[in-house]
Amino acid sequence: MKTYINGKELGFEPGETILSLARRHDMHIPTLCELHDIGHAPGTCRVCLVEVKRPGVKEPVFVTACDTPVAEHWQVLTDSPMVREKRRLQVELLMADHHQDCATCSRHGNCEVLDTADYVGLRSSRFLRGTDFPMPETDDKAAIQFDQTRCIRCLRCVTMCREIQGVDALEISGRGFANGVRFHNGFRQEESACVACGQCVLVCPTGALGERDDTQKVIDYLADPAIKTVFQIAPAIRVGFGEEFGVLPGTNIEGQVVSALRRIGADVVLDTNFAADLVIMEEGTEVLGKLKNREGVTFTSCCPGWINFAEKHYPEILPRLSTTRSPQQCLGSLAKSYLAEKMHVDRKQIRVISIMPCTAKKEEAARPDFTKDGLADVDIVLTLREFARLLKRQAVDLKSLEPSAFDNPLMTEYTGSAVIFGTTGGVMEAALRTVYFVVNGKELEQVEIGAVRGKENIRTASIDVGGDVGTVRIAVAHGLKAARELTESVLAGKAEYDFVEVMACPGGCADGGGTLRHKKRYKKHSAERSKGLYQIDKSRKLRQSHHNEQVQKLYAEYLGEPNSELAHDLLHTHYHNRRNEALASIKKIWDVLKA
Amino acid sequence: MSQLVYGVWEGKPYDFRSAPIPAGTELPRLEDLDDFDPGNPVKAFIADRGFLVFDASVSLIGAFQQYISRAAESSCGKCTPCRAGTAQIRDQLESLERGESFPVRLNDIGEIARILATSSLCGLGQTCARALLDALTHFRDVFEREIALAKAPSQHSTLYMTAPCIEACPAKLDVPKYIDCIKDGRPDYALRTILEKYPLAASCGRVCVRFCESACRRQTVDGAVGIKMLKRFVADQAYPLAEGVFPKNLTPPANANKKRVAVVGAGPAGVTCAYHLLLNGVAVEVFEAQQTSGGMASVGIPSYRLPKDVLKAETEGVIKRLGGKVHYGKRLGQDISVDGLLARGFDSVFLAFGCSKGGMLGIQNETPTPKGYSSGIDFLLDVHKHVECGEPVSLEGEVVVVGGGNVAMDCVRSALRLGAKKVHLVYRRTREDMPADHEEIEACEKEGVVMHFLCNPSRLVVENGRVIGVDLVQMRQTDADEEGRRNVEAIAGTEAMLACTHVFAAIGQQIDRRSLALEDGIRVDRKGIIAVNPETLETSRPGVFAGGDCVLGALTLIHAMDHGSRAAAAICQYLEEGRVSPDPESRMQAVLANSHLLEGEVISIPQRLRLRASVPELEVEQRVGNFDEVELAISKGEAYHEAERCLRCYRLYSVVTAEPFGAVAQATL
Repeated sequence: MKTYINGKELGFEPGETILSLARRHDMHIPTLCELHDIGHAPGTCRVCLVEVKRPGVKEPVFVTACDTPVAEHWQVLTDSPMVREKRRLQVELLMADHHQDCATCSRHGNCEVLDTADYVGLRSSRFLRGTDFPMPETDDKAAIQFDQTRCIRCLRCVTMCREIQGVDALEISGRGFANGVRFHNGFRQEESACVACGQCVLVCPTGALGERDDTQKVIDYLADPAIKTVFQIAPAIRVGFGEEFGVLPGTNIEGQVVSALRRIGADVVLDTNFAADLVIMEEGTEVLGKLKNREGVTFTSCCPGWINFAEKHYPEILPRLSTTRSPQQCLGSLAKSYLAEKMHVDRKQIRVISIMPCTAKKEEAARPDFTKDGLADVDIVLTLREFARLLKRQAVDLKSLEPSAFDNPLMTEYTGSAVIFGTTGGVMEAALRTVYFVVNGKELEQVEIGAVRGKENIRTASIDVGGDVGTVRIAVAHGLKAARELTESVLAGKAEYDFVEVMACPGGCADGGGTLRHKKRYKKHSAERSKGLYQIDKSRKLRQSHHNEQVQKLYAEYLGEPNSELAHDLLHTHYHNRRNEALASIKKIWDVLKA
Repeated sequence: MSQLVYGVWEGKPYDFRSAPIPAGTELPRLEDLDDFDPGNPVKAFIADRGFLVFDASVSLIGAFQQYISRAAESSCGKCTPCRAGTAQIRDQLESLERGESFPVRLNDIGEIARILATSSLCGLGQTCARALLDALTHFRDVFEREIALAKAPSQHSTLYMTAPCIEACPAKLDVPKYIDCIKDGRPDYALRTILEKYPLAASCGRVCVRFCESACRRQTVDGAVGIKMLKRFVADQAYPLAEGVFPKNLTPPANANKKRVAVVGAGPAGVTCAYHLLLNGVAVEVFEAQQTSGGMASVGIPSYRLPKDVLKAETEGVIKRLGGKVHYGKRLGQDISVDGLLARGFDSVFLAFGCSKGGMLGIQNETPTPKGYSSGIDFLLDVHKHVECGEPVSLEGEVVVVGGGNVAMDCVRSALRLGAKKVHLVYRRTREDMPADHEEIEACEKEGVVMHFLCNPSRLVVENGRVIGVDLVQMRQTDADEEGRRNVEAIAGTEAMLACTHVFAAIGQQIDRRSLALEDGIRVDRKGIIAVNPETLETSRPGVFAGGDCVLGALTLIHAMDHGSRAAAAICQYLEEGRVSPDPESRMQAVLANSHLLEGEVISIPQRLRLRASVPELEVEQRVGNFDEVELAISKGEAYHEAERCLRCYRLYSVVTAEPFGAVAQATL
């Protein structure tokens, strides 16, 4: 089957769109709402217009390339004067109600709208509907903020939430200029089905979606001499942050991050990896106990998006969740107890600041369960986007910094097991390494467990741990759509497992909702990042959590043993049923419809 | 038709402003426009494919300003040109109307109108600027003169937004709107959109005959949108969640001066009428001959298609929830009468007692009625009593059902479920001629019904007062008549007996003549059908209205519900003003229907293929011996995808008149 684009004869697949055909042949058609990586082509922006002359039809038609399948013997023009004029007008109309104060936008002009405006050669704004845009409604409690005035109705967030994550927290409401996206029934984030995974932020082409910006608070703390700032950096950061400063994706920039934190004035730099090893000791002990007593399945608990999902969507599964806190929270609570004691600092002076690839961590840190005597264990969580902003505001160029090593002797050591927490299957693999050792008194022959690695949304395996435990049925799920499927099958009794790892974000933390965003791409560097993490694991001298000497020291000098009373107090938690199925008042709907 | 002065239609300009219309000119033809509002002549008509001016004094700027304002109001706001373009044109025309601008603005308007018409995502955007674009292209001088004069005449626009599916629906349900609500992730809003028209959403979502889907423009792409399955989805989705879909605070508080209306018949027409009256604060009592609500939907539709509890919740349940009363076992002409009801102080009566007397075959040995022989409707009534009250029905032996409509389908499929050894369907025409839904026919075949086409009963074979068989004669098709329809005739000498224990005649229904007496003063036709004003549903007796099958003959659920809701509107006006006037919507609908404006449109631009969802069904082996529901609901994910197939073929129409609609008629009262 043949057709012509810009005079060039091209063969096409049945059902193939003009856009796909053009892209296969490196012909550029500007797009805005479309996002190929998530199969999204709603046809709302109407920017990808092309001119089509069909055989036997005199008048050309203008169609959107993203959702129009090619037919035989068409003459498609992607760049005719008429097409260019129409696209320019389209973008001019798009800008009519777009808040163009780029200086105050979270994207600072680094967005897909401006790229498109540039491409079409926008030079006038005849239709701008005033400049007096309302301040967006902010919800201080929510990790993710939405600014309707910057929304272009591409609906990528809706597809992400509905189709990719299967959370389905969003609805589209309002007509004309009032049309926009919001939580079902106009709920606030807290009462909505949203779990703050932040995947929507990753695909937003503008600054409409972003995290709550907490960088100013960090700058204030750094400037306050009475405050001791304690930073922690998540496992995935070392491979997913360098891009922002021109480093190759997947490159380990741990040393530069440590230097950067010192440069901006951090008092103490800790590694969340240390806490990951600790979590394996706590969670591993918990799981092992249940395995020995045949108490049924345990789900991991280190992903706050998953915790939110379980609490809001499947509270029935909550008793099955491990009670171990996430590495971030373990580190926070130890920083304000163990570390404070050892360093002779008043815990009231300490501010724990986490750098995380995650938006849900902001909400996790704010859980009332994670406060002691009115003080939060973790004070501020910055996403990688905020961290980049922080460094830029402090004029730090990461790439040019000499790497330096952690110097805190208490909470910075980590094993290979800890660092793979940052990718899907990592927690499971780390746990199995230690569980095997505890059961058999010796290490696994093959330290790398291929069965739990990979990218399938749900991976299952039966692994013989030996000893008095025998075969362990495990499952690994990443992405909430997979988590939903797995949870439902467990609740319905259709599948039986002993230990299940769930990561809310597809790919795990390295592709988390708080990672850097890439224009027109979703999970652009996913492969390099997980490869990078596995490489760090490989390069570590110690690869099993139980060999972490600082962790051993913590138990010997402070906690006693895993799951001790003090460990429970500092490192474990409980969950809450937060399901909310209330509908909008029927009367309200009726009134809206009648209006 | 009024004399055309100028305009553009289907891209062709007409201009008779300075010269008379040359003889033999072919003009665009619009039916019923002159009857739109008698005494208030039409100045102009604006449509999806052009505009026609019948009075040169009309202000185009004003007319288009109102037209586009409605489009802007209705724009879903998702695609750029429609969201920003309609609002932009509206604002610019408004400033021109106020005399604030200069002619150069017309260029901007034209530019936006062009991008709207050529690049919008859905039917509304694609069509709402076409007439304006045509006007600016061919009659720019009119705009310029209006701007120069800066004085617009007083005129009124009657605006009407619709779509092929809406116009095809007897109840004129806003299908794209409720599909939009699903797409937008608001199934509860979708349900409320349906409930604006009638309360039987879950029932209609199961058994509607789907005129809408037959009109769906997606048909020519990859199959009509599954409108019915989406309706069922929203009804099933939202009902269990809602703490009472109909809260008490929906109805105005009771007061002593409340008007009272008697509704005769608790079928779809009666219930729908009662529902709207109750929502409008009228006190309603419903009188029903049977012991259950739902009328033919209950008796005539077996529960494997429409579960009894679903129907009951949406009929009796809704009426009671809204504070209405239902009296069972009250048959018109026997227990109650029109005269009696009015004498008891009801301010108005709505007759909706149906058309449920089964027709007979009219063949030998029919009287006295032998055992094993009855009408299909009476058989279904027995089935209904069996399912609802557990009354025994036994069907050992073979069963013959005569007919080709949905009632016949219901009879054969019910007989299978009641243990008949074998079930035969006898139909005198061909399979293609069967009026039943094709899904129903396929289900019959799948479930094992033996079909006999081009075959007709000629005699019942009776022994000791019991049916033991039926003589069948072969039929053949005659040559096509002028309208292309082929009739059938019997082939002499082909009679043969089919042994059976039961014969059910499912060949149509009649009105029960005993319902109305002469002194009721209700005019009926030869067949007993009640004569009504088709626009207002008033009968020959003031204050008495009628609708549903007793006016239409045995027709569909959705027709009945349409009558119920229109009757309620008429009765409300009658109660308030003592008179009923036609509404502009139905006049507009008449223009559109009789001018065939929403028919036969084809989609010329290729669309991405998205296959229609298929409705999950109970396995065949699980169906026999019970009346469990066969069709199941689609999932949420499937509903999103199905909803996204909707092309939103909205069209906007405007009739411009000198006076507001109805004002002239009211002034002459």
